[in-house]
Amino acid sequence: MSVVAFERKQDSGEWSDKELRALVAAFGAALAPGTGREWETGMTERGDAQFYLLSPLPDQACELCVSRIGGRYVLEDGLGRLLFEHRNLELVGLHAKAAVPSTSWLMVRAITLWCAIRNTMHERFEPLLVEGEELFVQFVPQLAAFA
Amino acid sequence: MKRVKQQDVFAERRPVKAAPDAKQLRKMAGDWLKQRRADAEMSQADLAARLGLKYYTFISQVENGFSRVPIEIMGAWASELGLEQAAFARHLLMYYEPELYRLLFGAESK
Repeated sequence: MSVVAFERKQDSGEWSDKELRALVAAFGAALAPGTGREWETGMTERGDAQFYLLSPLPDQACELCVSRIGGRYVLEDGLGRLLFEHRNLELVGLHAKAAVPSTSWLMVRAITLWCAIRNTMHERFEPLLVEGEELFVQFVPQLAAFA
Repeated sequence: MKRVKQQDVFAERRPVKAAPDAKQLRKMAGDWLKQRRADAEMSQADLAARLGLKYYTFISQVENGFSRVPIEIMGAWASELGLEQAAFARHLLMYYEPELYRLLFGAESK
């Protein structure tokens, strides 16, 4: 008889390697080099594991926190607001990824990109529009005369 | 609930003079909060329940020094620990905003 070994889900104690890998992967973009963010783990007094996503220096405050309580994963922000909870860590990871605060660095990149697009549009399409307007002004009286 | 003499409570564990960074100061604040909760003979779960939090994980987050006590619940936090609200806020300000604390109370605190 062959016995299939099911992986037993951890309910308390420190993070397993698998859980940590899942969390770090979920926060992959937020933890990318250049963001300045770091992560740390901790424990509650009851021995439940916590994972903290920390903001860049100098503050290094908790932006998001994932805790495991009795096999349930709880996602909170740095102000203690409950954002999501589920037994599936991957699902919690998806919500965590979406909840990462956008940094000013990302905002600057987005604004720069928007300005570049606007500038290109202005340079490429404005002459065409002006030309079209001039043609329109020239031809409208003639078309009106024919009508 | 065990009440602690406030004068003694606020007098101890002042931050060291060689300006520690924000993370270190939050950790010191967390240790102080943990001690005050222990004095009040409450668990993290007890305090969370009294503050109306669904989980006690945020209490741990603050006591481990990763977050601050939010201003909105600072008064309630103090009351649940049996401490005077203004003194509690002032003491936490010393850790969370040391420069502001120095500007406001610098002369008195020395």
